Amino acid sequence: MKEIDARGLACPAPVLLTKEAIETENPAFLKIIVDGAACRQNVCRFLESQQFEATAEQHGNEFHITGKRTTDGPVGDKPAEKAATGSKKILVLATTDRMGFGDDELGRKLMVNFIKTLKEMGPNLWRLIFVNNGVKLSIAESAVLTTLQEYEKNGLHILVCGTCLDHFNLLEQKRVGHTTNMLDIVTAMELADKVITL
Amino acid sequence: MVGLTRADDAGVYRINDTLAIVQTVDFFTPVVDDPYWFGQIAAANALSDVYAMGGIPKTALNIVCFPVKKMDLGVLRDIIQGGVDKLKEAEVVLIGGHSIEDPELKYGLSITGFVHPDKILAKTNLQAGDRLILTKPIGTGIINTAIKAGLAPKDLIERTTRQMAALNRVAASVMADFPVHACTDITGFGLLGHLAEMVAGSDLGIRLSVREVPILPEARAFAAMGLIPAGAYKNKEFRETLVHFSSSIDGLTRDILFDPQTSGGLLICVAAPQAEALVQKLRENGIDQSAIIGDVIHDPKHPIVIT
Repeated sequence: MKEIDARGLACPAPVLLTKEAIETENPAFLKIIVDGAACRQNVCRFLESQQFEATAEQHGNEFHITGKRTTDGPVGDKPAEKAATGSKKILVLATTDRMGFGDDELGRKLMVNFIKTLKEMGPNLWRLIFVNNGVKLSIAESAVLTTLQEYEKNGLHILVCGTCLDHFNLLEQKRVGHTTNMLDIVTAMELADKVITL
Repeated sequence: MVGLTRADDAGVYRINDTLAIVQTVDFFTPVVDDPYWFGQIAAANALSDVYAMGGIPKTALNIVCFPVKKMDLGVLRDIIQGGVDKLKEAEVVLIGGHSIEDPELKYGLSITGFVHPDKILAKTNLQAGDRLILTKPIGTGIINTAIKAGLAPKDLIERTTRQMAALNRVAASVMADFPVHACTDITGFGLLGHLAEMVAGSDLGIRLSVREVPILPEARAFAAMGLIPAGAYKNKEFRETLVHFSSSIDGLTRDILFDPQTSGGLLICVAAPQAEALVQKLRENGIDQSAIIGDVIHDPKHPIVIT
């Protein structure tokens, strides 16, 4: 989960850190630690204004605030909003860079074709998540990079597993999507109407 | 003459039967980025305490804390120029000042003014039946927080800056012709904090109509984003027990009513029959956001009731 340590910071700094995190990473969950009642109120208010459900727990002088997204995407007139207007929320989880077993060469070709054809789902396609070998589709050498970049431009949320990128030493090569973590992935699965796993 | 047991805006010392001097001091860290305007706002804010006592400011002393090693002296020149220009507008003479080196920039003034001993406007001298008039909209604390956060658009910064730099001089001279019983200026304690000071410990109460309170329209949106200064929450915590809110008033509005103001307007308690005329006269003189916001009542159930 995205965690922000805003202890020792005065208003409005904790709100600004929260704002930045939501704008750049678009997390489904986030946690902010502040050390004043005023900051707690302000951060909760901000989260609520951004369609997050906010809960705060007091630990001594500190407040641990948890924000949980209640809508699909960032607030405002962004492409993501349009994409989220589909009647169903379909999440596609790609755990591999090739489709099926048997011949790897064929599998890679099929995957390219699959990604290019995904757009036929229209606005119902809500999240595309890459884990394990799948993260290789998001890097500079990917055969579907331009297709994915196009999807993202049109408002599709593409999430790429950070642990997996790190494992393959590809953190620097990622060219599309937001780096994500398991909690975001699990939350997205919970919110989705349908999950398709490859 | 007004004593320290109950808070007031300035100290008063009687010279003779017709003359007393009013003295006050106020200084703070910058509220806006532009040094010249900060100087103007600091001066308008310091002068305001004298106006709120019914006095006429005469002389001023500068108070400067400046990080000489970190900051260009040109900044200080601009701040002082802003202060001097505001004093000129108020026809007040700058007769000196004192500066020290400090890691954090602060500027303000000590102001001395004259008042007739019989015409001192203590803030606690209100009477049942009086009506309350506020002369500037509230919400500048929230807007200043939005400015600090870099989220306030340029035109809003300019409008708010001008409002904070506006002297309460015209309002003070207009009210001098009316049966005003008490007056204070709205600053750090926020509207409700200052109202609480007026009635705390007395058998009088205040009925405030929230719809009539002039609020800067942008303040609400920024408040909803959590850009409320910590001072507003402190003010609320300190005075909440004196205030009874009607259940229809949402949490955001409650916090805005406690928003600390920089160089806020005058809060005038005037005999009811003349209240409408006073507001009209204020508006005619350019104080166009003046409004009657409530009444003073006797023996209330709660010191401050907000509907």
